[in-house]
Amino acid sequence: MISDFSGSIALLLGGNCELALETASLMIQSNVFPVLTYRSPKGLQDIRMKLSRYGNAYTVYECDLNRRKTIRTMFNRLDKNFDFLVDFSHGRLESLVASADSDLVNAYVMENIAARAEVIKTASRLMLKKKRGRLVYISSTAAETSNPGQGFYAAAKLASEALYRNTGIELESRGITSRILRPGYIDSGRGRQYLGKSNKRYRKKIERYGVLSCREVAESILDLLTDDTEKNNAGIFEINGKKGLRSIYDHIVKH
Amino acid sequence: MTTLLNIKKVIAEILDIQEDEIDQETYLVRDLGAESIDLLELAVSLNSVFGKKINEADIFLTNLRQYQAVSEKTGEQPVKCLLDAYPFLEKQRVEEILADLDNGPVLKIKDIVRYIDHS
Repeated sequence: MISDFSGSIALLLGGNCELALETASLMIQSNVFPVLTYRSPKGLQDIRMKLSRYGNAYTVYECDLNRRKTIRTMFNRLDKNFDFLVDFSHGRLESLVASADSDLVNAYVMENIAARAEVIKTASRLMLKKKRGRLVYISSTAAETSNPGQGFYAAAKLASEALYRNTGIELESRGITSRILRPGYIDSGRGRQYLGKSNKRYRKKIERYGVLSCREVAESILDLLTDDTEKNNAGIFEINGKKGLRSIYDHIVKH
Repeated sequence: MTTLLNIKKVIAEILDIQEDEIDQETYLVRDLGAESIDLLELAVSLNSVFGKKINEADIFLTNLRQYQAVSEKTGEQPVKCLLDAYPFLEKQRVEEILADLDNGPVLKIKDIVRYIDHS
């Protein structure tokens, strides 16, 4: 893991997920101050429990992409006092495209694309004030994998990737850059559900790629915050299972 | 006058030009070559410098041609339509803008000054 970070404060959107909490732990150990967001009392409790040994080395804000007011309040309080935005947040909607409830689809798009665009807009404008900042979006290899029931998930991931990529390209001349990480076969959250499936075809893939631990992915995320990745603005980094875990610089798939 | 001086300072820094290249009558896009990214940065900087919420569509007259199209469609006087949309502009300036539309982007430094002083 590399430790020449281009800043010292990181906003972790969706901060109560397992991967975000692991990333926050590593950040604290690397002298980066994490600001974690949560959307429910349970989320806040998870953060407090996991990071209990770190005392005041982190802070928390409420931010629910379904409630725009919480986005505004969070950024009003935070102002320009952050150097990185690492976006882990993602809602769930698993349904065949042809059978999805239209209202749920609308709400899903509003939460996972429109609200995210608002987050990116606000964060990048605050970063513009000091002409420095890095946006990292945690996507998934599922973004470009066609699986029944995952159409909306993949669509939202791809759309979000596009928003982050474009922001990096549009604001690079002003010191603001972006990165996208696509981990796959990860033993965490939604990935764990799939790892537990007994589908023969899926089992073979797991055997072939190997399962990534949260810690391994978190280390890769920290690598994306270093000055060493300056040249890969708007790049998509893919880590497909443990077998694909080499230096993060070997993993750029799109730039 | 303070408003103008501050605006000149901000624009000079963003566009990397000398402040004396800018005056009230300077066109921001036509003369100085400001691009959309520069306008974004300008809005953010003006917000910081003046502590005022900046509506980018208003301060940069972004929807000018849309308002003009609406007035043509509804038969409303274009001057009145634009005065309603941009209350910080004076009637004389709106008339000047309408006469100047075919020559390119009409936004002048003095429009930005008026917006800041009016808001």
